Formats: sequence, C-alpha cells, structure tokens
Amino acid sequence: MTMTSGERKTAASVGLGDRRPAYGDARSENSPRWLLPHTAVLTGRILRRWSRDPTTLAETLFVPVAFLVTLNIVLGDGISQVTGQSALYGSVPLVAIVAAMSGATVGGIGLMRERDGGLLSRLWVLPVHRAAGVLSRLVAEAVRIVAATAVLMCAGLALGFRFERGISGAIGWVFVPTVFGVAFSVAVMTIALYSAKTIVVEGTAVIWGLLMFFSTGFVPLDQYPKSIQPVVEHQPVSYAIEAMRGLSAGGPVLAPTMAMVLWSGAIIALCAVPMAIGYRKASMRD
Amino acid sequence: MIDTSVGRVARPAPSTIQQWWVLTTRGITPTLRNGELLTQVAASIMFTIGFYFPLKQFMGVYAQGMSSYAQYLMPLIALQAIAFASVSAAFRSATDSVDGINRRFKSMPIERLTPLAARMSASMYRCTVALVVALLCGHMIGFRFYAGLVNTVGFCVLVLLIGAALSFLGDLIGTASENPEATTHLMMLPQLIFGLLSVGVQPAERFPSWIQGFVRNQPISQFVYALRALAGDSTPGAGAVKWSVVGPAVMWMVALIAIMIPLHVLVSARRR
Repeated sequence: MTMTSGERKTAASVGLGDRRPAYGDARSENSPRWLLPHTAVLTGRILRRWSRDPTTLAETLFVPVAFLVTLNIVLGDGISQVTGQSALYGSVPLVAIVAAMSGATVGGIGLMRERDGGLLSRLWVLPVHRAAGVLSRLVAEAVRIVAATAVLMCAGLALGFRFERGISGAIGWVFVPTVFGVAFSVAVMTIALYSAKTIVVEGTAVIWGLLMFFSTGFVPLDQYPKSIQPVVEHQPVSYAIEAMRGLSAGGPVLAPTMAMVLWSGAIIALCAVPMAIGYRKASMRD
Repeated sequence: MIDTSVGRVARPAPSTIQQWWVLTTRGITPTLRNGELLTQVAASIMFTIGFYFPLKQFMGVYAQGMSSYAQYLMPLIALQAIAFASVSAAFRSATDSVDGINRRFKSMPIERLTPLAARMSASMYRCTVALVVALLCGHMIGFRFYAGLVNTVGFCVLVLLIGAALSFLGDLIGTASENPEATTHLMMLPQLIFGLLSVGVQPAERFPSWIQGFVRNQPISQFVYALRALAGDSTPGAGAVKWSVVGPAVMWMVALIAIMIPLHVLVSARRR
C-alpha cells in the first residue's frame, strides 16, 4: 500500500466528514463568486422548462390578455364615465399584477414536484451555491412577470392605453408588477414548503382573488362601501396600481411606490427565515 | 401430505360499493385535515363579497325590475363558487394521473369506473360545501328564495348538476393533460372571464352590441337565467319558471355531459 501524503490527507478529511474549503475560498461552492453563475444556470433551467410547455406558456401570456379585454368590455365604459379617465389606466395594471400573482402558483407547484421527485436533494449534494436554488426561482419569476407585463402592455396599447409620461415612465411601469409579484412568489413558495398541494393552488387563488376584487383597479375607490375604503386604499395591489397609474396617466408615483415596496419588503422579511429553513428541509429529506 | 390448497383459494370478490366508498373517503378525509375545507369556504365567501361590494353601487342601477342587486347577483355567485370547487377536481385528477396511482388502480381488481366515480363523489362533496356557504353568504347580503319549496330545491339541484358537469370536465382536462402545473391556470381567470361576460352582473343590453349574442347565449348566462327564475323575487323581474327559461340550461348540461363521456372513456383508456 503506497499512498502519497496528499492522498492520505484527502482520505482523512473525507473520513472526518467536514473539512470543506472555507467560505470565501474560491474553491468553495459557497464562495460569493459562484452565486451568480450558479443562479444563472438554474434560472435558465426553469425558464427553459416553462417555455417548452406550450400550455403553461399560452396560459401565462395570453389568458391575462383575454381577462383584460373582458374587464374592459364589462367595466370599462362605466368607470370611464364615473372618473373621466380611461378605465384602462387602472385595469391594465390590475391584470398585470393578477397575472403575476396567479402565475406564482406554477412555481410553487413546480417546487413541490421537484422536492417529491428528489431533484432538490440531488442539487443539495452537488457543489452548487446554497442560495442559488431559491434565488434562481425568484429570478425566473421576475423574468416571467416582466414578459407577461410586456404582453399586457401591448394589448393595452391596442385598446387605447397610452403613456403620457413618455418612454421613461413606460420602462418604470413594466417593472412595478415585478416588485410585488416576486414578494408574492416568496409567500407562495413558503406556503408550498409547508402545506398540501391543493392549499397552494386554492389558497393562493383566494388570496389574490380578494386582493383583486378589493383594489382601486377593479372599480374606483369611492364605489366601495365607506367602511372598507381604507382597506382597499392601503392594500399592496392598490398601491402598485396607483404607482402604475402615476407612471402612465400622470399623478403621484413616489408615495404609492414607497408603500408598495414597504409591503413587499415586509412580506419577504416575514417569509425569508421560514422559507430558508423549509427549503433546506425539503432538500435534505430522503 | 402436500398442502395443495394454496393455489386454489378462491380470489376474494371485492365489493364495488365498498371500494367506491374507500376511494371517496380518500378524497374527502384529507380536506378535513389539511385545511382544504377552509379554502373552499373562504372561496365561496370571497366570490360573494368580491362581486357584491364593488359592483353593488356600480351596477345596481342596471338590475332593473329586481328587488335588490343581491337578488340579481346570487345565481352568478353560486355558479362561481361551484366552478371553483369543481375546477379544483382538475388539479386532483391531473395529480393522480401523473403520480401513477391510476395505473396502479388499473392493475388491481377494481372496476374501471370506480376511481372516476369516487373522484366525482368527492367533487360533489366540495360542490355541496360551496353551495351551502354561498347560500349562507347570499342570505347575509339580502338574497332570499321567493318561489316556493319546489323551485328552491330545483335551484339547489340545478347548481349541483352544473357542479357535476364542471367537475367531470375538470377531471377530463386533468386526466388528459397529466400536468398539474398547467391545470392550476384553469382556476379563477377563465371562470372569471366567462362569469363577467354573462348576464350575471349586468343585463345583456349593457354590453357592446357586437358581443351581445355571445353574452346572451353562452352557457353561464343560460344557467343564470334559469337559476334567477328558480330563486324568484318579490317583483316579477326574475322571470317565470317555464321550459323556455330552464330548458336551455338543461340542454347545455346534457350536451356537455354527452360530449364528455366518450372523451373521458378515450382518455382514460390510453396507455402510457
């Protein structure tokens, strides 16, 4: 038996179990320099998966357009008469945010399926940055939301929606749903890690349904009964809609944006620790 | 002596009824434990308050001839609640298909239709919960039955029949797609599109003329007309219970089921 000292050392450290390169060492998979490349690879995986499923693709991008047209037919004229402003300035943002929220279910169910199929545990034993798994899912959600919002913007423009503030307003407008949408996805993923599949689907639908019905994008604020107006006014979806209204038709932008960012930050802060623990647990079950 | 009886023991003759019952409880028991019943109740409440409060003032003026907007809206609320309950059947059957339990059932001494029948009974349980909660919520916003006991029972039976047809449709889509992720999109958005483009929230005349034909004749509108008549009203605005009002709804349902049964046989006989 001949063994060089280097080999013996490796064998010993394997035997001892845990002598991996230290954090920050470029050889460690948890080194910050690997976070971006690893996240990019995993994000590409999820996006490719979605784009190759024609049903998911069509439903994510085009069902919201059908919903926008419906809302415009049913409520458009009435709202325009009451407010003197085209209803599209509220309904296009509303549908964009609804699409962001309803699509989060797909990610949540996908996460559960990959946990049950063992993919998460497989990735856990490979030299992949520990944060890349969660981060790639959120980046993929962000890409999905921007794409869906862009499609809705085109549909809105065809219906008569206009950006009164020019191109810079339009660019900001497209990214507003992403902020709250990603926060909502964090919440859905956290729920997915701790509950049954049907809860993820149905519970999420009930939550976004309530946020949609009781928002300033569905009907104007003064149409709601006095007692619930404060709730409607200060909930995150209404803030996001008002920020987008400001960026397109003109009006206050900073205040609603700040409120929406605060809401999103609070949701993410609330879910961060349970999600990290849940994700680790999901990755380590046999 | 060699015991030769081992190979000759008669195979047990399983009772189809019992199998159906076991598989039905398989669908129902988890709902009591994992909070699913709660989401079902929450969904019915959401549809009631979500349509009523924002639209009461906005649309109420167009519900001419009816005693209140709650009375006008109730058929649509019941339909949305029941659709939510039955579309979740799609998700469940897709999950069953993809997990392979249907294939497992095929290899066992179970009649071919028993798993489907069990899934349907579990769906009917969800629909019943949805209907009861929707009627309770409707009562709170001011909806009442005016047309007597027979028509009230007719209202409930028609809603449950629609729930059965929709559950069957959901089951078909779920079994055919074998993709639980894709079926989640069937929740809510398509049902809201059909619900809003019906006479459930406002009369057909209020829609732009190019779409009025679709709005008046699509199944949801026909269901709404029939249910509104069956619920009745203190004014004559709800319409009378006669064949020209209830007939189209019944025909739509018969047609839906007649198309779906052969399709379902085709889809579930498919081998992978």
